Amino acid sequence: MRSERSSEIFGSTRSHPAEHRDVSTTFTAMASPCLVLVDTADPLLGAAVGSIVKAEALRIEAKFSRYRPSVVTTLNENAGEELEVDAETADLVDYSVLCYHLSQGRFDITSGALRRVWKFDGSGAVPTQDQVRQILKCVGWHRVTWNRPFLRLGVGMEIDFGGIGKEYAVDRALALASEFTDEPLLVNLGGDLRVSGPRRDGSHWHVAIENVDCPGAAAGMLQLSRGALATSGDTYRYLIKDAKRYGHVLDPVTGWPIADAPRSVTVHADTCSEAGQLAKLALLRGAGAEEFLKAEQVRAWCAR
Amino acid sequence: MQSICRHSSVNLRAKWSLLILLIAGAGTGCTSLGAKPWDHDLLAERAMQVDAYPLQSGMDDHIYFSKEASSGGRSFAGGGCGCN
Amino acid sequence: MQLKASGATGAPTLRQALKVAAAGLLANGAAKAQEAPAKPPATSVDSGVLYYHENGRVQAVEPELNVAQKINEDSTLSLGFVFDSLTGPTPYGAVPSTLPQTYIRPYKIVPVGTLVPLTTSSGGSTVVLLPPASGSKTETLAATSIVPANTYPLDPSFHDTRVAGHVGWDQALTSTLKLDGGVAYSHEYDYRSASASLGLSKDFNAHNTTLSAAVNYESDLSFPVGGTPTPLTAMSGDFKGPDATRHEVDAVLGITQVMSRRWLSTLSYSYADSHGYQNNPYKIISVVDPVSGQPTAQLYESRPESRRKQSVFFENKIHLPSDVIAISLRGYKDDWGIKSVTADLRYRYQITQEYYLEPHFRYYEQGAADFFHYYLVAGEALPQYASADTRLAKFNAQTYGLKFGMPLNKGSELNLRVEYYDQRGNGSPSYAIGQLKQQNLFPDLKAFTVLLGYSYAF
Repeated sequence: MRSERSSEIFGSTRSHPAEHRDVSTTFTAMASPCLVLVDTADPLLGAAVGSIVKAEALRIEAKFSRYRPSVVTTLNENAGEELEVDAETADLVDYSVLCYHLSQGRFDITSGALRRVWKFDGSGAVPTQDQVRQILKCVGWHRVTWNRPFLRLGVGMEIDFGGIGKEYAVDRALALASEFTDEPLLVNLGGDLRVSGPRRDGSHWHVAIENVDCPGAAAGMLQLSRGALATSGDTYRYLIKDAKRYGHVLDPVTGWPIADAPRSVTVHADTCSEAGQLAKLALLRGAGAEEFLKAEQVRAWCAR
Repeated sequence: MQSICRHSSVNLRAKWSLLILLIAGAGTGCTSLGAKPWDHDLLAERAMQVDAYPLQSGMDDHIYFSKEASSGGRSFAGGGCGCN
Repeated sequence: MQLKASGATGAPTLRQALKVAAAGLLANGAAKAQEAPAKPPATSVDSGVLYYHENGRVQAVEPELNVAQKINEDSTLSLGFVFDSLTGPTPYGAVPSTLPQTYIRPYKIVPVGTLVPLTTSSGGSTVVLLPPASGSKTETLAATSIVPANTYPLDPSFHDTRVAGHVGWDQALTSTLKLDGGVAYSHEYDYRSASASLGLSKDFNAHNTTLSAAVNYESDLSFPVGGTPTPLTAMSGDFKGPDATRHEVDAVLGITQVMSRRWLSTLSYSYADSHGYQNNPYKIISVVDPVSGQPTAQLYESRPESRRKQSVFFENKIHLPSDVIAISLRGYKDDWGIKSVTADLRYRYQITQEYYLEPHFRYYEQGAADFFHYYLVAGEALPQYASADTRLAKFNAQTYGLKFGMPLNKGSELNLRVEYYDQRGNGSPSYAIGQLKQQNLFPDLKAFTVLLGYSYAF
């Protein structure tokens, strides 16, 4: 599964020198580098927690994959027919519907079809008005019939949980890991991360925020002792045509990229799902992103 | 006969070099070649599989094996039937 | 883009609504990780019937069925079954003559005194009873056939029924490493073959590169009708030698590389080493008079006891906006002196999103085996190995095919493929002697196949 938006801000934790090292597990999931840190002296426990997180991340990736046979590919291949989905998928759909209403239609899990005309592959190709008009016929939650647990997509439509899947995976993985152990831990899936609480000695986890203009260089350091961080942005996927920059966050109502969106928004909230959704909603507001975050009293950082 | 033997050993060496080069390339990570995981959509279609219609290609291999002297290539060179 | 006011008035803000929503999503703990009813297909069935017809000679009908069943996330069991029935006359290997010729093959041993009708013809042959050796309690029945003048000698008694099955297992060891193995068995009335294979494949570079290696071991037993003849002895009605065995080991190394979103490339190398009985027990080679070119004797053929084969195969598949092209090349060489080149081109044209039409062209060219001879000349020393089987001769062949495909409901496809195969060799070699100058020593082979296929996944 691949997130609709790339996460260009990697949280990396760095312990201070001469302190004990956390037990870390790294792996790749959802086309992103992933990291689990457990603040413990027991390497076996650390490794066990790492594999629990990895298993859950891969399970969710496989279950909602757009390429390998999965719930999502089955739904997309049978667009037009009514299919019954399981409880977990139904919960994600319910959550997406809520976000759809809260964003006044701008957060829409059926917007993936826009990818068919918007190819951010570095070729600079921008679709014509006509192409966009045609593809909009296959986009829009209002064309979907949802009577839990029965879902029917319109013919030609496709569904994609990429916009909420990674944050959901962080929350789920952390919940499973916390059921397993009380030791403080940090789960970071490609830049979306959450901690179980402060470290054993009461101190904070240190998270480096990557510089948006120089990937790999740090722009600052955050101290995190609770909650989650999630980022939305377009640093890696964009088009430049006629000196105009088109970010890759597309507005499902107009079919065109959101104008004047910030290049990235990082939000801190209690859960990764909430943080990710707030970041996305801010981005979808375009020029009004900062105003929205301020009004909702969200602890966030925007980069333009 | 002599010249044929010499020629064929050059061909064999060329084939070996090509194979080793390709494997070495893969080993060192041809990261310039390939497609991102989200771009494997077309490659997942049936027509793009390495052996898209195995029943059909199995039957073809069997027919050609009984009419021609060559075998192998995509898969095993053996026949499994008496039409040798 | 209205912004909601903060909670001062007590009305829920967007953020509070979102918090509640997220809490709801994450509420049900472990109960969530259940298998979805919308499952990917676990069983796939692939079936087909082939009809083969070769220039008014051989005819075959071959149904085949393969089933693959996913046992769990990582492993698949597959079963296959094929039934082959081949009838029709096939070349002896002998040269045609301006005079009629008689051929004989033993086929049954009966106790002395058995009443046998002497004029039955089984597919054009006449049964003869050979006088027993003195003191023997048994005598031999043989089939003789007469080939008219100026006709390419074909053995009319050819009929073959084959039944074969295989069982395979695929196991994913990690997300990038896969193991596969299988066993196969094939049985005809005069031949049986058993084989086992094992393979390993590993993905690199985010599944863009796959390296694979596999080995196969095959053990064959020939028990031809009338026994196995001693090579280069004269054709006779006597019962011949005992069953003969052959063993072969093959290995294949391959690399598949995703070149781009639309282009997949495969390169593989295979090597096979075979030891044992390589002869075709029914084929003969004529010995001709050095002046007239008339056959004076028919000898059973002789091939070396071992054979080493190598081939390199290169294929590219390119996905155009809706169509797909597949091009492949294969080079082959073995230690019998045979070299060949195969080029294959397929263009899958999508008529609509579902229906497709796929024209196909294959070109094949091979050189002769070192011991291939159209005939041997009387008076010259007999070589150690000699065969007149045109399968080992120099020739080229073209295949022209057209396939029509019709995906039915989800996961199933019906297809019909028609192909025409045309094999041509040199029927008039410049060195032909006497009457052989006017004979066609390599009759063209033209074959027509129809394959109806149906596959379904559920």
